[in-house]
Amino acid sequence: MRRLRTAAALTTALAASLLLAACGGTAGGAAPADVTHTPDPDKPQVLKWAIDFPANWDPVVSGSGAQFRILALAYASLTEIDDHGVAQPGLAKSWDYNDAGDQVTFHLRPGLKFTDGTPLDAEAVKLYIERAKTQENSALDGDLGSIASVDAASDTDVVVHLTQTDYQLPLLLGQRVAQITSPEAAKDPAKLNTSPVGAGPFVVKELVTGSHAVLVKNPDYWDAAHITIDEVDLSAVPDPATVVSGIQTGVFDFAYLAPSQVKAAEAAGLDVVKQPGYNAANISLNINKAPFDDPRVVDAVRYAVNRKEFVDKVTFGTGAATDQPFPSGYIAYDQKSANLWPYDPEKSKALLAEAGHAHDISVDLVIPTEQPAAEIVQSQLAAVGITVKIKVQPDWATPFFAKDLALSLYGTTGRESPVQTLTAHFGPQGPLNLSSPYVPQGFDAAIALARQTPLDSPDYAKNLQAATRAGLESQALVFTYSQPNLFVKSPRVSDLPAIPGQVHWTGVTVAEK
Amino acid sequence: MVRRIARLRSGRLALGILLVVLVLAVFGPALAPFDPLAGTDAALAGPSADHWLGTDYLGRDVLSRILAGSTVSVLGAVQVALIALVVGAVPGILSVYLGRSFEWLSLRLVDTLIALPFLVFAVAVTALLGNGIPQAMFTVGILVSPVFYRVSRAAALTVSRSQYVEAALLSGASIGWVVRKHVWAKVLPPLSIALATTMGAGFVVVSSLTFLGIGVQPPAPTWGGVLASELQYLSYQPWAPLVPTVLIMLTVWAFNLLADAVRDVTGEAGRALTRPVTTPVAPVTQRTA
Repeated sequence: MRRLRTAAALTTALAASLLLAACGGTAGGAAPADVTHTPDPDKPQVLKWAIDFPANWDPVVSGSGAQFRILALAYASLTEIDDHGVAQPGLAKSWDYNDAGDQVTFHLRPGLKFTDGTPLDAEAVKLYIERAKTQENSALDGDLGSIASVDAASDTDVVVHLTQTDYQLPLLLGQRVAQITSPEAAKDPAKLNTSPVGAGPFVVKELVTGSHAVLVKNPDYWDAAHITIDEVDLSAVPDPATVVSGIQTGVFDFAYLAPSQVKAAEAAGLDVVKQPGYNAANISLNINKAPFDDPRVVDAVRYAVNRKEFVDKVTFGTGAATDQPFPSGYIAYDQKSANLWPYDPEKSKALLAEAGHAHDISVDLVIPTEQPAAEIVQSQLAAVGITVKIKVQPDWATPFFAKDLALSLYGTTGRESPVQTLTAHFGPQGPLNLSSPYVPQGFDAAIALARQTPLDSPDYAKNLQAATRAGLESQALVFTYSQPNLFVKSPRVSDLPAIPGQVHWTGVTVAEK
Repeated sequence: MVRRIARLRSGRLALGILLVVLVLAVFGPALAPFDPLAGTDAALAGPSADHWLGTDYLGRDVLSRILAGSTVSVLGAVQVALIALVVGAVPGILSVYLGRSFEWLSLRLVDTLIALPFLVFAVAVTALLGNGIPQAMFTVGILVSPVFYRVSRAAALTVSRSQYVEAALLSGASIGWVVRKHVWAKVLPPLSIALATTMGAGFVVVSSLTFLGIGVQPPAPTWGGVLASELQYLSYQPWAPLVPTVLIMLTVWAFNLLADAVRDVTGEAGRALTRPVTTPVAPVTQRTA
């Protein structure tokens, strides 16, 4: 009884403290004291980054676009991209295709090594790619279908034999797919998943899963000369609403920022970083399951979606509507397909009536966490007569990737390779194609042509856009909005390189408080 | 008893607040001026003549969501208290009369339940059985039931050792008759206090769970859920969380005031609740016989 009464009596304090704690996040308090970006050369530069802590630290099993940015602290990738999304040297200083375009040789920088001392040579890259293709829990095997085999021609030459002509490899083997892991550490994949060993700009000194990690500068990183940060302290953020106050008070220097917190961050005098990206959100339909096995119902959903409402209420105006798996302006964005399915609720209702489903459709929308986008989908579909029941299912990933759901939501952070983005969404085994093995007619041929087009060909953009056009015939996806990658940083942290979709620390400095 | 409680100032205040909460729970959804699930373009708008408490992140009327959410919030607390009462009080009384085996078993079970953190356990059960208030509250009710077990057992022990009960049993009265005639009257006052306190605690639990998004599926409104969503948009509406917060605080406070008032009006029997319940108390006099 005493316990109960004490608990009840604590309610007041609990509620009040909740409110007070949250209020701390919004106070438009004074901006932090003037700072310069000039670090004190006598003191180590420490960056405190608040993150959604990765569940997996092995890039082969991670599979999450947002978390590759964090894993990139510990792992270096075979290639990089520049601020235009063009492939650039990484661990590989260059690459050559054969005349047929079905074999590419990556030339590694000499003398590379992992943080455990293992040489980072052609054999290590070969073992990594083979592991990514064959490991049972690999999240990357679907992306490596073009790779038939890999040879280590010398210590520094990795020869990749392809199943087809595919000029996307330099983009494909970037941060998303080819963060190379130590072959020695990968002998125990379970251990690697909690104790990362790579050759990235930082080496993990301490890691407590779900809590925090400390990484220190890796002097053997291939571009160590341009890394000025000495230490990165990662901390798990319990609530996005506390991020702004955390940075304001110096607990963190850098963090992801929810769109709803932009106003608070700006009021607090913090730097809001709108990092470019390839993000796109979608409504995933499974045409192998009722009610979406009727194309008229799919079309009704397409016409029922008001993208502006997502932009206004989910991105708070920071994003933009998109009807393709990337934002407009991207090289693969097909202008000819823009606004293919305009918002037209009356047409949607007519299609449902024609299908004999004026008011009798009910479907579960299964999502991993509560999100306003789900409620918007629910209300927009309700407006045309489709009843949507939202089900929050923490183990959502299992049925989603097993294609067991009828309706869900997904948001991609994009990939370096536009062909990879397209196949992930529209390919027969694409992880984001909830209707697998369904593939829209003409997509296979169009994507093959895009693969076969060299990246510097004048036809490259045209062929990519044709593949996008073919993919958009898919009944499995309704794209809604694109949101830039939002971050908030202390003014003590200098500007980040504007690499689309990535977080690069090259050249970034952290000034003394 | 209600009249006696109403004679106390704190009792009147508690009853007044709880009456309002009851009205909200019963008529709240009907009183809502707007559809609590219907969004508008005016997201996160401030208070106005149309929307007294403004609108939320999807442009829904906050007042309507609070009114519509009253039922779930209050019913959850009632469910916790009633389940705890039935699951706890009945075995608590029977443990005195059904022999040593039942007594030993029930005491060990109660010890086990006390060791389980009910909020965490409720989260686990909803993950296992599905996200719903009934299963969450059923779990919490079971885990809170030791309170009623101990209170009812202590009172029953007191009565069972009194001479008039022994005399009744020697005269051939059945255990059921003794329980109905003598034990129940003795157990009722402390149980009433425990019930009021548990309702308050149950309200905290319901609000906490719905604050965390457990027990209800979006977009169903609850007081805890409204509070949680308002906290995400403090830079737009810093005052917004005050309304659900104050409602929760007032309701829990009223339940505790009511418990105090019940204790005050039930005198000696009610105060027995505050005695150590694991140790049998001395037999009371025969004045209640």
